[in-house]
Amino acid sequence: MTVNRSRRRLAIVIASTAMIGSFAVPGIASELRVGFSQDGQTLDPANHRNRETETILRNMCDGLLTRDASMKVVPEIAESYRQVDPQTWEFKIRDGVRFHSGTPLTATDVKFTFDRLTKESALGGQTSPRKSLLGPLAGVDVVDARTVRFRLSAPWAILPAMLPFQELVSKDFVEKNGDAALATKEDCAGPFKLVEWRRGDAVIMERDPNYYGGATDIPPVGPAKVDRVIFKIIPENASRVAALLAGEVDIVNELPASAIKQVEASDRAKVMSVNGTRTFFLSINGAKKPFDDIRVRKALNHAVDRKLIIDKILAGRATPLNGVMSPDAFGFAADLPEYAYDPALAKKLLADAGHPNGLELTIDTTAAFKPTAEAIAAIMARSGIKANVQIWEGAVLSPMWAAADKRKDRDLYLASWGNGALDPADIMVPTLKTGGRGNSAGYSNAEVDKLLDAAETEVDQAERADMYRKAQKQVNADAPWVFLWLPQDLYGVSKRLKGWQPSADSRINLHDASVD
Amino acid sequence: MTDDTATRPAPRSHDALSPFELGLARFLENRLAVASAVVVVLFVAAAIFAPWVAPHDPDEADLFRRLQPPAWLGGEWAHPLGCDGLGRDIVSRLVYGSRVSILVGVLVVAIATAVGILAGLAAGYLGGLVDRLVSGLVDVLLGFPYLIFAIGLMAMMGPGFQNIILALVYKEWVVPCRIVRGETLVARELEYVEAARSLGASGRHIMLREILPNIVSPVVVVATVRIAQVIILEASLSFLGLGVQPPTASWGSMVADGREFLIDAWWVSTFPGLAILVLVLAINIVSQGLRDAFDPRIQA
Amino acid sequence: MSLSRLLERLLGLIPVLLGVSVIVFLMISLTPGDPVEIMLGDSRATPEQIAALRHDMGLDRSAMERFLVFLWNAVHGDFGLSFFHRRPVIDVLAERLPATIELTLVSLVLALVIAIPLGVVAAVRKNSWIDRIATVGSLLGVSLPGFWFGILLILFFGVHLGWLPISGRIGYSSEVHSVTGFLLVDTLIAGRPASFLDAAAHILMPALTLALPMAAILMRVTRSSMLEVLRADYVLFAEAKGLTRARVIGRHALKNALIPTVTVAALETGSLLGGNMIVETVFGWPGIGRLVVEAIFNRNFPLVQASVLLYAVTYVLLNFVADLLYVLLNPRVRL
Repeated sequence: MTVNRSRRRLAIVIASTAMIGSFAVPGIASELRVGFSQDGQTLDPANHRNRETETILRNMCDGLLTRDASMKVVPEIAESYRQVDPQTWEFKIRDGVRFHSGTPLTATDVKFTFDRLTKESALGGQTSPRKSLLGPLAGVDVVDARTVRFRLSAPWAILPAMLPFQELVSKDFVEKNGDAALATKEDCAGPFKLVEWRRGDAVIMERDPNYYGGATDIPPVGPAKVDRVIFKIIPENASRVAALLAGEVDIVNELPASAIKQVEASDRAKVMSVNGTRTFFLSINGAKKPFDDIRVRKALNHAVDRKLIIDKILAGRATPLNGVMSPDAFGFAADLPEYAYDPALAKKLLADAGHPNGLELTIDTTAAFKPTAEAIAAIMARSGIKANVQIWEGAVLSPMWAAADKRKDRDLYLASWGNGALDPADIMVPTLKTGGRGNSAGYSNAEVDKLLDAAETEVDQAERADMYRKAQKQVNADAPWVFLWLPQDLYGVSKRLKGWQPSADSRINLHDASVD
Repeated sequence: MTDDTATRPAPRSHDALSPFELGLARFLENRLAVASAVVVVLFVAAAIFAPWVAPHDPDEADLFRRLQPPAWLGGEWAHPLGCDGLGRDIVSRLVYGSRVSILVGVLVVAIATAVGILAGLAAGYLGGLVDRLVSGLVDVLLGFPYLIFAIGLMAMMGPGFQNIILALVYKEWVVPCRIVRGETLVARELEYVEAARSLGASGRHIMLREILPNIVSPVVVVATVRIAQVIILEASLSFLGLGVQPPTASWGSMVADGREFLIDAWWVSTFPGLAILVLVLAINIVSQGLRDAFDPRIQA
Repeated sequence: MSLSRLLERLLGLIPVLLGVSVIVFLMISLTPGDPVEIMLGDSRATPEQIAALRHDMGLDRSAMERFLVFLWNAVHGDFGLSFFHRRPVIDVLAERLPATIELTLVSLVLALVIAIPLGVVAAVRKNSWIDRIATVGSLLGVSLPGFWFGILLILFFGVHLGWLPISGRIGYSSEVHSVTGFLLVDTLIAGRPASFLDAAAHILMPALTLALPMAAILMRVTRSSMLEVLRADYVLFAEAKGLTRARVIGRHALKNALIPTVTVAALETGSLLGGNMIVETVFGWPGIGRLVVEAIFNRNFPLVQASVLLYAVTYVLLNFVADLLYVLLNPRVRL
């Protein structure tokens, strides 16, 4: 479907011809709009646990560290950092960084920011939901105006990997206006500053001309390119895609794979993608018969044609996995054996396990993954497995699979787990360690537990990676899941957009972006 | 709806033709309504005889036929209206989907109307505490926005066909209840009820034998409209991810699932959308025809 | 209408609100799903962290205790903090309310503008082709799932023709100086006709999507009450007096025929308010409908409770308005 550029919007036509010409705010040269799936929950960087909120905030609020496009952790407001000893890290803060209000950013603000995050009831009586993202962080000490030290209660190798999740706030601002004010206003040091937050509708920001320039490792350094940025909230997929095709927005996130064709056919937009950080898998309820039998679990793995589903349902935009980790992650084991699609082998394994006539089972999932689950079920049928798909509400499904007694009658769960830090500690521990929050398969292997525990406090990175690789190998052999894939994050992007690339952590950083 | 609950005259005198026959005769004169009735009957027949009507197994997926266009747009005649996102035959899913959609509509309205009539009769005739309880409940339920209530119930009870029915019935019974209560309040004071009462008839007899037959026609007319409404509501639940369980097709879930393909594979959601449109439209026209034919207020 | 009657009406609110609160609370207590789990999502979390969040949300108390605390606070105008926005629920709702009210009112007006002329003409020319077209045409509006119709509108007018904006309330180059919260009013107060047109262009498609089903109902009501009135003695008498038909219809019939239309419109506005959550999602309209649906799925209990109460109050008030209108338009009725 092509759109005639000459046909402008009704209102604009009327505005520019018949009405007073003061329609546009004077001085606005370039404006970039993002069609975004969800509104921010708050503007207080410490008081949410929501990816979308973080993506919006990150354009206004910088952190000590950030990541470049290849997910490497680099200093941002910090100038440099080093590990003093296994339980102490030191950060040097850049000179001349100012908050949007003009207040200089100093070590006191860093300490203040992290005190809010880690101290109980520090947010005007509430405790920060981000506390657990900082693991064993015990406190921050101000050494001098430009130096802080992070004290840990136990060695924690991934502190730098976890710091890009936190943004710095101004102590002065909070002391003057109170914690509650941060919920709707910001005083950060980031490339853009808040103009207006129209709740549920849009977050409007403008360039901060006095911006310190951003991470030196991610050129170009300097103020942002565009004058204004608007995150426009459009929750419905079909409408978000339509807004892109109509030229109303320049970037849309969460582009559904089904929309790739229509975006690529359009003369004003294209598709951009990046390996995501969300691992998909079918959790097998290993405590229930017959799934306690490794042959049955292997049969299930051989019964799913991952390549076909990726090709047809996900438009080819996913990487098949033989384990839990993303290929981009720290400690990824590249040499895991593959459970190739082989219906004959699946049938044989089932027969060996005492099920010559196949199996009947139920796959639980949420409405968003209904097509995928149905496609898996259709393909399993070829291996003699009759799979029914049952759709649940997310809020009901995950607690149901989190508790052993609640999932005891369930079979398979099409689940996923995000790993924004791209580090095994953040995905293997919750999903595969005995009793983990996301261990829906009820997987428990003493050897794996030991490796995960040891890796947690191991300081030597090579040693740590090795432990995680061993753990992945063991998991692959035990097949607690049907290993599936790592989808790419898809974005629809207007052709007038320059200097922007999607990022694996699903952030939309607009510092370097410009529009023609 | 107030126009249904408004004051009605005393029962009609029994002339040569019964009111029913009179109404029927009038209805048959309305060609549009009759044609619509035929459409409704055809849809219902297709639903009942689905296994013979549908060319394929509606749940048989074939990813290689994913989004195959209708036959005249380069598809094949084996799948005249094309295939959906999992390569399932759209015609067959439409035929089987009509079962779910029509069943949901009819079942919900039938149960809701029955409950509503009983509650309305009791409230209107017995009055007092019963009336206050029923009316209070009706007020509370009406105070809930329909979808919020349905979503809440679905969240509470979990997915499943019977829960969809239940969630919809919970709210639907309120409409007939209100109408019946209003009509009963009026009828209670009329001569024929007085007469029955003075002859010593029991309350149950008066409610079910005397009042009910005289007030049932507006309820039936409203019920037909509600069927159409419920079919749409089921679609709305599907949009919110609370529809029927896969692989079962309902028209609502087909429209909802297909909306992502609207630009490059419009047929996936357009045909079920049209099916809803045609059936609901036909039901509404029939219902309006029935009202025009049977509602005594509009008689010449 | 007497003052005591008014007072009685307002007192009648109390049991309804209490009943609604009880039902919402029962629903919340019986529904599986834990807001803390939802908030934490995919991450590691220590038991202490989970406990701290549960405490913040008041979930460490028993359901009964929570209910009583909720009632006590609600009576004092405090509805608690939204679990996810971490701000007072009242603020969160208040920010979104004007958008929903504006959309509802515009839809209502649009529905009346479509329904009344069509209904009158259909009745006056009963069984003519115009009656048929009006009937079928209006029924079309009630025969489509709103979300689907909305997306079709977007694809046609927004993408294909490029005439109308696809989502939001107003363009982002229009500055908004909020006075009433209703953009159509605010832009006029600020003397910015261009911004007004911009806001009007934004509201057109969502309002139309909402208005059509309602217009169908109202048209039907208008048609049947008009038919009734046209047969009434005073109209026949007026005609017999030799007044022109147009004058009879315009002067005498219409005024009486509109009584049920207006009453039904007032009542149906409640369902308009409740039914707009889907339209708000499709058109990215920043109202409370969308907020409430999200709140239910996220188990954001305080927000669910407060918004349902808000809907209930609105419903009761609308009923009241309907009664009032009925009296005002029809002097023969005395409440």
